[in-house]
Amino acid sequence: MKNIIIVFSLMMSMWLSLSPAHAAADLEINTPAISAIKNSMQARHAQLAPFYSSGAVGFSRDGLVAVRDAAAVPLAQRQALNSLVAAENKDRNALYAEIANGNQHPEWEPEIRATFAKRWADKAQGGWWVQDGSGWIKK
Amino acid sequence: MITRRDLPGLRITVGCCRALSRLIPLIVFMGIAWSPSLVMAASSLTIEADTVEAEGWQAKAVKLVLAPAQRPALALTSQIKLAKAPAWSSLHAECGQIKLPAGRGAWSCQQGLVTADRIRLPFNLTLDTAPVAGRAALRLDAQVQDAQFSDAAGLHAAEKLHARAQVQARQQAGRWLWDAAITWSGGELFWQPLYMQGQGQTLNAAGTWDAQALQLDRAALQLPGVATVHASGKWSVPERQWQTLHVDVPDVDLAKAYPALLKPMVEQSALGHVEMAGNVALKADWQAGQLQAFQLRLRDVDMEDEQHRFAFYKLNANIPWDYDQPQSVTMDFAGGHLLKVPLAASQLQAEINRYALTAPELRLNILDGALVLSDVSAATLGGQWYWHLRANLTPLDMPELSTALGWPRMAGKVAASIPMVTYNAGTLTTDGVLGFNLFDGSISVNNLGMQTPLGSTPRLHADIEMRNLDLGHLTRTFSFGAIEGKLDGDIQHLELQNWQPVAFDAVLKSSPGKYPRKISQRAVENISALGGAGAAAAIQRSVLRFFDQFNYEKLGLSCRLHADVCTMDGVAQAPQGYVIVKGSGIPAITVMGYNRQVGWSELVSRIRRVTESNVKPVIQ
Repeated sequence: MKNIIIVFSLMMSMWLSLSPAHAAADLEINTPAISAIKNSMQARHAQLAPFYSSGAVGFSRDGLVAVRDAAAVPLAQRQALNSLVAAENKDRNALYAEIANGNQHPEWEPEIRATFAKRWADKAQGGWWVQDGSGWIKK
Repeated sequence: MITRRDLPGLRITVGCCRALSRLIPLIVFMGIAWSPSLVMAASSLTIEADTVEAEGWQAKAVKLVLAPAQRPALALTSQIKLAKAPAWSSLHAECGQIKLPAGRGAWSCQQGLVTADRIRLPFNLTLDTAPVAGRAALRLDAQVQDAQFSDAAGLHAAEKLHARAQVQARQQAGRWLWDAAITWSGGELFWQPLYMQGQGQTLNAAGTWDAQALQLDRAALQLPGVATVHASGKWSVPERQWQTLHVDVPDVDLAKAYPALLKPMVEQSALGHVEMAGNVALKADWQAGQLQAFQLRLRDVDMEDEQHRFAFYKLNANIPWDYDQPQSVTMDFAGGHLLKVPLAASQLQAEINRYALTAPELRLNILDGALVLSDVSAATLGGQWYWHLRANLTPLDMPELSTALGWPRMAGKVAASIPMVTYNAGTLTTDGVLGFNLFDGSISVNNLGMQTPLGSTPRLHADIEMRNLDLGHLTRTFSFGAIEGKLDGDIQHLELQNWQPVAFDAVLKSSPGKYPRKISQRAVENISALGGAGAAAAIQRSVLRFFDQFNYEKLGLSCRLHADVCTMDGVAQAPQGYVIVKGSGIPAITVMGYNRQVGWSELVSRIRRVTESNVKPVIQ
């Protein structure tokens, strides 16, 4: 009986270590779709950076950006800001899905998103706002 | 309604008239009647309540001080909380000067100010309740100056707002007849997604009101330089919705209305970044809160997508829609382009039945030919589009088309037959084979599918079969050096992302059959260049450099693209490599390839260098 349990647990651990869910995702994978999204995000970054600095926009905990304080932006620019944030989030959602697809594991999207959320927060400059479990904090 | 039970902690102090304190304050608080003689006698009147509750809001620590001889003459402070609000906020309202009527007459609050969290509302208000011709009547004149407000998210906000409202009402046969004029003279308003500046917009409206319904007999909203919106309808008070509403906007200047009114609403759609000009008229009817019918007319509209995906010029359209009745839609335009394909003047007609559009035939004129769409059927469901159609491309002049598309100039004509194409919420699939005639040969596309063709990361997969393409046409088109002959090609499992290939299994080789097979010195050099460094060594230069043209038996090259690497092969194996061009007769030439693994981007840049016609054959 003991042997059976040992063999069984050995087989289980082998199976688990072989199972693709435990392989590391390649976050730097490059496909034309990913590079198109990255280019589009890069082009948009210059427009977003002042809003990160002013605190109008911050990095949310789900790997996206969010309007944190619209009052920091003149009324005339608020809808443009909303559109900018919507476009950025569309790209970010597409990026996470594409990286998951590129790794041949679409179901990894939530983990990839979580990893990126942490990356964005780590890379945020001093004075920018990031959302952690408890709420918005200024770096 | 506030009742005595709702005011458990009511405490009243009146400067000198304590005897009356039991009765008057409640009445004052409810603002129903007023005894001026009492106020004149009192130097000040203070009303305090611990809590006040009503439907939708509650207040605590309410304090109202009325002191007509002082400044402010009337002051109200309170903590207030709307039912949906998470926290209490402070409310302060005051009138610098007040005028109270003797009997029924004009009330006035001058130098008034309301402040609360994110609200600052300076105002002047006059309310005349004097009866007219023996009937109850009201005349209200209210102005706000330099007002500002914002919600917590900043999505509904105004700054430096100047506006004036004048309302008159008189009672007749158990209901009120009213008319109102509102002028917005300055300041900014952001009501997500709309942003507007006060430039003398006016709203004039008149109607009747009773406990059951607000009747809007006529309303005219003037947006200077943009449009005038006319409306009429009936708002049901118990149901809190428009029972009927009719809106008519006869003449909209699109160049001005698009950035101000339309763009914020369609920002996320294909029409979100478009330059527009022309005129639009719109009529719409709602019944019981539901859109019942509309008619949209476009007159000489020009629209051009900023990302150059489409453009239409001198677009005229009549688009009627009715919830119950099928309607006929007509549209014509003088020109334009769609995904860079130039469109000539065309007329389109279709039928709209609630949320579905059908047309037996739509003919889009392209240059000297046409793309004829047939069996068109489209429907929108839950914000997603579903459609299917068949198409046929009548022969088009290829030189003109290729120039228009920015491609290398191609000779001949192109024609195509496209089987049933189905678009299913972002995914486009075809049933059957797309056939093209090009370069005197045929190209057929199987298993074509596309995801989000207009999105940011379009994807396409297909299998392509090419037969008997004229190599003379082909090589001249791509400045490759002359090759005479015919080419067959099979590109299996082609996958494009963002219109760039990421995977395929391609084989290109001479077609079977009898035809002249000649290849120029320059084409040989170019083919050698594709095989990578070392391939050129295969040319037996010493003798062959004197010849401009060689015979060949067969030529071919294959590339299996995977993970950005192209694995190459030729028409035959050779020691240390593969044969790309197998010579025959005299003079004959054999071109070898040695590199089997070539980086895709490297190969693309080699092809680009070769076809940019700056490569000269160097024969030593």
